[in-house]
Amino acid sequence: MGSPCEVLVDSSREQPAQAVTSAVAACAWRIEQKFSRYRDDNIVARINRAAGQPVEVDEETARLLDFAELAWRISDGKFDITSGVLRRAWKFDGGDRAPDPEGVRALLPLVGWSKVKWHRPALTLLPGMEIDFGGIGKEYAVDQALAAAAEITRDPVLVNFGGDLAATGRRRDGSAWRIGIEDAAATNQASPQAAGLLELAAGALATSGDTYRFVKAHGERRPHVLDPRTGEPVRGAPQSVTVAAATCTLAGMWCTLAMLEGRDAEALLMREGVRHWVQRTPVGDVSH
Amino acid sequence: MANNDKLIGDALALAACGLLGAAAPTRSHAAEPDGKWAIDTAVLYYGESDGRVKDASLSALAIREFGDDRKLSLDLTVDTLTGASPSGAIASDLPQTFTSPSGRATYTTPAGEIPLDSSFHDTRVALNAAWSQPFARLYTFNAGVGASSEFDYQHIGANAGFTRDFNQRNTTLNLALAYGVDKVKPVGGVPIPFATMGDAVNEEDGNVAGRAGDSEDKNVLDVLVGFTQVLGRHSLLRVNYSYSDSSGYLTDPYKILSVVDPVTGEPLSRTPPPGVSGPSGIFLFEGRPDSRRRQSLYSELRQDFSGKVLQLSYRYSTDDWEIDSHTLEGRLRVPLGESGYLEPHLRYYTQSAASFYRYSLAGGAPLPEFASADARLADLDAYTIGLKYGHETSRGNEWSARLEYYQQAGKAPAETLIGNQPGSVQMPDFSAVILQFSYHFNL
Repeated sequence: MGSPCEVLVDSSREQPAQAVTSAVAACAWRIEQKFSRYRDDNIVARINRAAGQPVEVDEETARLLDFAELAWRISDGKFDITSGVLRRAWKFDGGDRAPDPEGVRALLPLVGWSKVKWHRPALTLLPGMEIDFGGIGKEYAVDQALAAAAEITRDPVLVNFGGDLAATGRRRDGSAWRIGIEDAAATNQASPQAAGLLELAAGALATSGDTYRFVKAHGERRPHVLDPRTGEPVRGAPQSVTVAAATCTLAGMWCTLAMLEGRDAEALLMREGVRHWVQRTPVGDVSH
Repeated sequence: MANNDKLIGDALALAACGLLGAAAPTRSHAAEPDGKWAIDTAVLYYGESDGRVKDASLSALAIREFGDDRKLSLDLTVDTLTGASPSGAIASDLPQTFTSPSGRATYTTPAGEIPLDSSFHDTRVALNAAWSQPFARLYTFNAGVGASSEFDYQHIGANAGFTRDFNQRNTTLNLALAYGVDKVKPVGGVPIPFATMGDAVNEEDGNVAGRAGDSEDKNVLDVLVGFTQVLGRHSLLRVNYSYSDSSGYLTDPYKILSVVDPVTGEPLSRTPPPGVSGPSGIFLFEGRPDSRRRQSLYSELRQDFSGKVLQLSYRYSTDDWEIDSHTLEGRLRVPLGESGYLEPHLRYYTQSAASFYRYSLAGGAPLPEFASADARLADLDAYTIGLKYGHETSRGNEWSARLEYYQQAGKAPAETLIGNQPGSVQMPDFSAVILQFSYHFNL
């Protein structure tokens, strides 16, 4: 998952805790192997190498594609699992290098779900196009891992994959889980400071943000959310968005959609009645 | 989004369910707090020895979480009581005849037996609804309404309370208020306290003597202040103080007292007029004070011994009827295998008699202001011993079975006995068996 993964089991018994840990780990590895874009032996690699040929996908992949398609539709094309190729022009390594506008423009013909043919169970991309589940996979893995844990024990469980997390319910003493939200401005220090402490009785929490990954371009701090329709980063995107929802997949999608709204992130979340915490760079602090 | 006025949340939530739902059909109820019901159902049988009261009860409790800890609970209980209960009259060496509560018929108790009123049968339906939700971060507010109905008794009530967490939620304080308005509508009318049980009267011959009105009211106010403290990782202490103020009609309209010979203590006998059936003795309807104030202090300790959970509690209760009681109770929950548990249960209860409890009344003596021969108001000891087995299914549902044995023994205070009664006193002691099956599931 490219980040630390942990599972907390509130139990007095050792055996279920160990079984839960193994199940969660197995689930994380399975989803990582199946949907990571860094592997060359999985379904994502097969789709991306198909060079214009249709690829028949399994049921689970089909469901992820359906979900991605719906998110693309309701976001008017801003959420797009084919936008990954734009990375070739952008580097989110904290460096100063600005993207080459020519390079971005050259890549745009390979971006856009509208160019994809998705007729369950067959997916056909244009040659050179790529998909990746980076915006969904980790949150989906959290939900699946939690479901696997809930099948093993009735004790309260919290699954946390790099800050995207979900819990089965209140802790055994009736209290909520206490979650710290990292201060986006302070996380490059050795000990991250909690910007806020919130309580989660059940459900999930996901966070999107440029905490670790940003570039400076035109003197402006650029978050890593790109508008796939223009290839440009979204202007005025918050530094980080945290959302609480029933499932981690849902929370994660809200975070991504809010990021894509840029300056209107809070407006979207408020209009939709989503529980959220948005962090922005203080005014006058845009130069670094 | 372009379509600014059209909310996209529903579509997204539905799609997320489509993505996760099919892949995780056995997802735990707790993982999705929104839009699910948690249901507890139970069927209970309670049976007293010697063919006395039997109660079959069905209950269902449904709780729905609406996210953010907002919670709705609905509770429905249906009870069916059958059997006979002691009327308050004492046993005699001769058969005794009584007029039934309706005033329209008579029944006879064999010599030497404690008189039981066998017309005791009822179906009760009770419904409660409650809402709870947090506010201002550390507070939780709850409110509820309830009603119950049986053929001679109606109850409506409302309650409200709040909980406040302190000390990183290790300490919880709660305050609750409840108010109930009850209406008693005794069969045959409300007996006048100390009125003599009259002869049976036919429907066409008019009203039953000694009755005044059809119904009476009773109001009950309950106040509870509770305190819960987490004591380290494995133990929890709870202390509750409660105050209860009942006013209005607190008398049991079906309970009577035997009038006895002041020298021998034997029930006085009478003969109904020729052609009329009626009581073979002199029996007076009981009368209780019209207010009762009770205070209780309850403390409970829960301790987790590496998976075994011990729960010990003690309650002291005192009221202005001079009934002081002590209850000592313990449960030990022992895990059995991966998904089961066994829970033995022991309870001991003892109380002192109400100041107006009388075993019987002496003929010719002035009547007291209040009197009742209800054995539940006498000196009393009771114990319960039980065992519960619970099992959690692989889908997160849970069923349990509970078997308990209850025994109650009363004692009439010596100063309430008359003549030779100390040698012949007979209290309506009994034992009972309680069997319950419960099933918890999620919808």
